[in-house]
Amino acid sequence: MNGGTRLLILPLALSPLLPFAVFRANRIAEAEPRSLVAALGGGGAALAVAGLAAMIGALVLARRAQVRTVVAAALVVAILLAMGWAAARLTAGGPPQVRVGPGAGFWVALVSAGLLVVDARARLHPRPAMRLAIVAVAVAIGAAILWSGALSQLSIMQEYGNRSASFWREGARHLWLAFGSFAAAMLAGVPLGIGLTRARRASAPVLGLLTMLQTIPSMALFGMLIAPLAWIAANVPAAHALGIRGIGAAPAFAALFLYSLLPIVANTVVGLTGVPRSVTEAADGMGLTRRQRLTSVDVPLALPVIVSAARIVLVQNIGMATVGALIGAGGFGTFVFQGIGQTATDLILLGALPTVALAFATSAVLDALIGMLPGTAR
Amino acid sequence: MIELQSVTKDFAGVRAVNDVSLTVEQGTVAAVVGTSGSGKSTLLRMVNRLIEPTSGRILIDGADTAGVPAPDLRRRIGYVIQDHGLFPHWSAARNIATVPVLLRWPRAQVRTRVRELMEMLQLDPDVIGPRLPHELSGGQAQRVGVARALAVRPELLLMDEPFGALDPVIRAQAQADLARVQKRLGTTVILVTHDMAEAIRLGDRIAVMRAGRVEQFAAPADIIARPATPFVADLLGEGDRAFRYLSLRPAADLARPEGPGAGPAAGDADAPPLSPGTTMAEALSEMIWTGRDHVRVARADGTGGTVSRDDLIRAGRPE
Ligand SMILES: Nc1ncnc2c1ncn2[C@@H]1O[C@H](COP(=O)(O)OP(=O)(O)OP(=O)(O)O)[C@@H](O)[C@H]1O
Ligand SMILES: [Mg+2]
Repeated sequence: MNGGTRLLILPLALSPLLPFAVFRANRIAEAEPRSLVAALGGGGAALAVAGLAAMIGALVLARRAQVRTVVAAALVVAILLAMGWAAARLTAGGPPQVRVGPGAGFWVALVSAGLLVVDARARLHPRPAMRLAIVAVAVAIGAAILWSGALSQLSIMQEYGNRSASFWREGARHLWLAFGSFAAAMLAGVPLGIGLTRARRASAPVLGLLTMLQTIPSMALFGMLIAPLAWIAANVPAAHALGIRGIGAAPAFAALFLYSLLPIVANTVVGLTGVPRSVTEAADGMGLTRRQRLTSVDVPLALPVIVSAARIVLVQNIGMATVGALIGAGGFGTFVFQGIGQTATDLILLGALPTVALAFATSAVLDALIGMLPGTAR
Repeated sequence: MIELQSVTKDFAGVRAVNDVSLTVEQGTVAAVVGTSGSGKSTLLRMVNRLIEPTSGRILIDGADTAGVPAPDLRRRIGYVIQDHGLFPHWSAARNIATVPVLLRWPRAQVRTRVRELMEMLQLDPDVIGPRLPHELSGGQAQRVGVARALAVRPELLLMDEPFGALDPVIRAQAQADLARVQKRLGTTVILVTHDMAEAIRLGDRIAVMRAGRVEQFAAPADIIARPATPFVADLLGEGDRAFRYLSLRPAADLARPEGPGAGPAAGDADAPPLSPGTTMAEALSEMIWTGRDHVRVARADGTGGTVSRDDLIRAGRPE
């Protein structure tokens, strides 16, 4: 057992003492805590505690990281299924507006078990292809649990049930905002970075300007873009026809694009200037043209650094796109801000949880891709 | 044949190369030596136009290099540098294939050529070929760099301190390999080095540079026997110039026939003869070490002979 495991076992073991679920008479009513016994019944609670004890035992005793990964992952699944079961039990026979959501005990157990998975997986030192496979399996398990209906009585899923059409629409919008602005920033930022390595005098002012942009708080930047874009929409018919407006997706997209530029441009410059002099000298000496050197030597060697910027930007964009909802850009943020307005915790979670999951999965996939790039082999 | 005609290079007020004229004959090795900052690399890099001369002309086989687009020129000229400059994201084999691929050789021809080069440089194509540069030893990486430079049989090979980063044992071997490959291919070589011994061993002619000028351009024996300036003499080191001179010729040149009645008892009859390639300097060193005044030397044709200490000492002083 290592330090990481030990640190996580304690909250996991104590989690049954905290309320497992919360009960609301309706979606905005005061939450009433429900203990594990109340949520699962005496027999169910006993079974859950026994199961938890067995898995903790396995985690403590198992020497191999593979075993610990699988046990911790099974624990995550078991906690989710227990929650679904608790929701079904507590809502059974009640009026339809009753809501059952996760309680503190659930969250503590889930987060501890989730971190145990991450910790054990890290100790596997999986190859990049294996890491991609692990992400795929995790996504598949998550999807299977959601689709099976095991969680359908859970408050968040009820919120989803009432909004499934808009959920997917906002999800698509969220992806478009985050990935679209990222793609645009890559298309603009990488060439700009390449240009800056050639016109070194321009490098400091341009990077300075981009750094300044980064320091503007996101709400302020969204706001600052409203006026110019509204002006463009009013005066450029073609822009108006493209759907560009002062509020909505356009300023959000533009703000995310601007935030993305600094990491991409800066890392492109760092990556390119990090190519060893002997390598560029040899490339020139072999008779590679400037373009050939750029495409077959400089950019491939800078790629790990550029892709790590891509990872930072994507994760940042996925999170920041939620704020765009405040100026009518749509995305998962819509649910978050509606939920805040209605003091409906479950609606907030309906917006927040997919955002977190998306950021997690994107980061894991890009990490694996970085590991697959040639030249980064250990 | 490479001709440099009054070549000069100024860098923002620094005259790195100052009015250098010299001619390197086809199939010979010109070694360029000199102190740090004397303009050796600048001179070399003007030949493949990594640096454009401020004035003067450089001709290859009579044609001005300025008339050819630089990338085309460079593909015809091999270039080897001290840190080998292998592309870290490409395997050794792919590195060697760089120029053939640029010239769009057919795939099969590239593959055969890479194998051929690796074998010539004693690199196992199946073992070393797929490795990335960071998986190679310094000596292996250096040989891959040489193979890459020779890929399209360039008539001219430029080398900038190619062995500078190698340990003495590997360096001696790399020097011997270069000499062998150069003789076999008949490539013209310009070799920049810090090391006078290396220049003497490999150069048919040596150019001694100081502050951007060539102080002397002559065969090693002439450089040692008649240094043109005190700087050249300094660079040679007066302490062992006799040994340097002796190191230029094989001991077998001084051997007298062996056999009954051929002078005094020839060394110890039971000592094995020195190998045919032994230089006069090595033969003398052997005598000093073993306390004998004669040694036996084998000749390449299988016969043998005896070399006397007095003959060696006489040979160590240029007439
Ligand atoms: N790109 C450059 N810009 C300005 N000055 C340069 C440049 N390249 C070389 N020099 C100057 O030209 C002179 C000769 O440099 P060069 O590199 O040719 O010397 P070198 O004989 O190869 O030295 P070393 O043995 O240290 O490699 C030095 O004074 C150096 O500072
Ligand atoms: Mg140099």
